[in-house]
Amino acid sequence: MAVFVDLNISHTVDKKRLQNIIETAAHLGYSTVAINHVVDLQQKKQEIGKPKCVSELFDQFPIVQGKSRPIKVLNRLTLVVSEASHFRPTNEFKSYDVVAVFPKTEKLFHAACMSFDVDIICIAVTEKQPFYFKRPPVNGAIDRGVFFEISYVPAIKDSTMRRYTISNSLSLMETCKGKNVIVSSGAEKPLELRGPYDIANLGLLFGLSEGDAKAAVSTNCRAVLLHGETRKTALGIIHTMKKIEPTAERREEEEAPVLKRARTEAV
Amino acid sequence: MGEHASYERLVFKNASVYHYMKIDLILESEDKRLNAAHFKQLIISALRDLYGEIGAAFPFDVLKFEEDTLTAVLRVYNSGLVKLWSALTLLGSYHSEPCAVRVTQVSPFLLALSGNSRELELD
Repeated sequence: MAVFVDLNISHTVDKKRLQNIIETAAHLGYSTVAINHVVDLQQKKQEIGKPKCVSELFDQFPIVQGKSRPIKVLNRLTLVVSEASHFRPTNEFKSYDVVAVFPKTEKLFHAACMSFDVDIICIAVTEKQPFYFKRPPVNGAIDRGVFFEISYVPAIKDSTMRRYTISNSLSLMETCKGKNVIVSSGAEKPLELRGPYDIANLGLLFGLSEGDAKAAVSTNCRAVLLHGETRKTALGIIHTMKKIEPTAERREEEEAPVLKRARTEAV
Repeated sequence: MGEHASYERLVFKNASVYHYMKIDLILESEDKRLNAAHFKQLIISALRDLYGEIGAAFPFDVLKFEEDTLTAVLRVYNSGLVKLWSALTLLGSYHSEPCAVRVTQVSPFLLALSGNSRELELD
């Protein structure tokens, strides 16, 4: 059975609220969630910071309903780009599990589909799509294993946004035929989250078939995560990683020599 | 060719014309009270928001509503299930206050809603 994934939980500095959202997601039956860090490259001097270690969030991660396993929390980066020169793959990407791009113009959409090294392309849901989805870039993205993302929270909040969400997704489905689509939340509050089966049903409204709609919250998301993992590897074959020690232990290690030094001095 | 076939093939097609939904309304502030009539009105207005006058005009019933836990059992014709469910999903506010509907169970058999295997506690 496929597990359910929500790849878009908005990052907030408010740790309590973030914990609340993740607890709700676990209760609703999501096995994996990704915390989304948005960087708008239009504004100057935007730094892509390293994400916080997710293990700092909880001492013990909440148990997923019906799975008796703790929820998995990942980091995701979303870049909002309006000019091609803004998109520069950097080393910071490697500290994120998933990288998404939100292209503002048709030219960038084309570039994102055909060449950008990303996992997800976001589709506008808060405004009318400013360009048409053309067949060649969309097919190119499907061939490369890049997924299109529709987030549903704006549709819950506002009826105008709801119209945009549905019309934009319908026009996307016209070109991609329901392939390579994921549906995620973009939630900022626990009450904005919906259960995975609710979203599978909502997918029918977005023009997905029953099977595609369920895949949009389960198997397609898994494919995104695997695609994200290959970025850290050499062609998905060789993978090197540094051994990371938890910060608490490291601090102890740093302190230990000082103590030792003090003792030797005393002697 | 035997005159009587020695076996009989029975195909059970889903005979139920209804689907039953067990849902849970969650309000941000817990001091708000609402009764069954208000609750149905809330669902109807959610349907009208999403589907308009004509799209929302399909029959469904609130079989049971518990005021203290805000839990309800709905009955809807199979043809209206997707509409009703999506309207409940996209319901986001009650009297301009955030709320959410958690769909606990959906089944063509009312009996199935009597217990939830996910909340079963085995000793």
